[in-house]
Amino acid sequence: MTDVPATMADVASPPTASRKWLIHGGRAALALALIAGWEYGARTLGPLFFAPPIETAQRLWALAVNGQMLSDIMATLRVAVAGFAIAGIFGVILPFLLRRSPRATEAVEPAVLFTMGIPKYALAPWLILWFGIGDMPKLVVVTLVVFYIVFITTFAGIRGVDRRLISMARVIGASERRIAREIIWTSLLPFFFTGLKIAFPRAVSATIVGEFLVSTQGVGRYIEGARQVSDTTGVFAGVVIALALVLAINAVLNGIERWALRWQPVEREMEL
Amino acid sequence: MSPLLEIKKLGKRFPARHGREPSPWVLQDLSFSVAEGEFLTIVGPSGAGKSTLLNIIAQTDTASAGEILLGGASVTTRDPRALKPGIERRIGYVTQDDNLLPWRSTIDNVLFALEVQGKLDDASRARAEKLIQAVGLAGFETYYPHELSGGMRKRTALIRTLVYDPPIILMDEPFAAVDAQTRTQLQADLLRLWEMGRKTIVFVTHDITEAIALGDRALVLSKQPSRIAAEHTIPIPRPRNVKDIFALPGFAATYEKIRADVQ
Repeated sequence: MTDVPATMADVASPPTASRKWLIHGGRAALALALIAGWEYGARTLGPLFFAPPIETAQRLWALAVNGQMLSDIMATLRVAVAGFAIAGIFGVILPFLLRRSPRATEAVEPAVLFTMGIPKYALAPWLILWFGIGDMPKLVVVTLVVFYIVFITTFAGIRGVDRRLISMARVIGASERRIAREIIWTSLLPFFFTGLKIAFPRAVSATIVGEFLVSTQGVGRYIEGARQVSDTTGVFAGVVIALALVLAINAVLNGIERWALRWQPVEREMEL
Repeated sequence: MSPLLEIKKLGKRFPARHGREPSPWVLQDLSFSVAEGEFLTIVGPSGAGKSTLLNIIAQTDTASAGEILLGGASVTTRDPRALKPGIERRIGYVTQDDNLLPWRSTIDNVLFALEVQGKLDDASRARAEKLIQAVGLAGFETYYPHELSGGMRKRTALIRTLVYDPPIILMDEPFAAVDAQTRTQLQADLLRLWEMGRKTIVFVTHDITEAIALGDRALVLSKQPSRIAAEHTIPIPRPRNVKDIFALPGFAATYEKIRADVQ
């Protein structure tokens, strides 16, 4: 067989063990440098301005042991995930509906672009007026923050779909539903995942900011409570928890993305 | 016998963009017909509107004038929204680009047509497997398109259309983008498959040799506005050995005649 696929020979060489160690070593060194800088900041500026890493770690441990960390995380996640899910669903469905009608798209687009400019956090006090001090005002803010990101990335993905594939499928006799489900949906998955990965940290941030304003529990509530009593260590511990939360969810999203896009050429070794 | 496909006085001009003159006619007064089981080749220079012609026949684009008869019945429409691409699966279309779905493996790309038509069963699966064997793709069933060579992708695209057995197959320079050696191999593969089933094929190319090697009859398109400038019956008997097509009696004379007509 003369038709040996080019990719077999060129690309398939896996990274060697030594290169992997180099990457891990580099990451560890960077993390150590950051912690060292943190410690240096605490020593020169004092614990009121810069909580020392050790104290922050001790606080995290205490919060983990007494169960407050878990209940705060659950409270924050509850709002962030619900808002994320609602916005994700609408952010995907709306572009799919608009796809069929250029006129409807033209009608809706200015409204979307216009309302996108509204500072969502500024709506919070007004939303509290409407919905009280429960989860609802936070949920609305999170949903609005996430919706635009998912909507715009999905829309860009739909516009980027290869028209020739759709034309091919129509000639073969595929139904419009089939084309939407397989060709358009699969083509825009990379865009969709990019949108999700940008949106999720923002959903968590939005929830935390919402909790600053109104809440009885949650990571944001903890940070705000600590700030009010000048407990810098508490603020740092809260920020670390928020970071860990975002990282953990991102890892989950990355895993799902790798699985959903397993057909794509592997470009992880690509050098920019 | 009435022709299976009949093109009558076909014309095409693209709609004017805002503030511009309407485009000139790409096709004008273009007429020809194809008999059942015939392998018709159409030769024309680049920009002669070959792809436009096939797009109109496949109904991925509208005609501006003229009529198309399929099995004696008119299938013409001027309304882009009333187009029926592939008119109820009676017309297969192998485009210039392979248009394989990048997330489907070789076998799944071939089965795509059967899947969307609800014809996926053991018999059609076996047929797909047989076609994959016939074009030398055995062993590459689970490879994704980006892992295949250009020639292999062409073969996959070709059998994706052959597998659902449309009565007419349109081919738009399907082998233009591969090297000469691979092209000869692909032509041989195509002829072998065609001898097995004798589909009606309309094959468009800019390569006179290819038009002679494959066709029963070759039409020559003029420059724009395109119409049929000449028609040549290919006197070379089948089965043909495309690798030695130059040496076969009748080739040189036919080549000269067609070349004189291609502007």
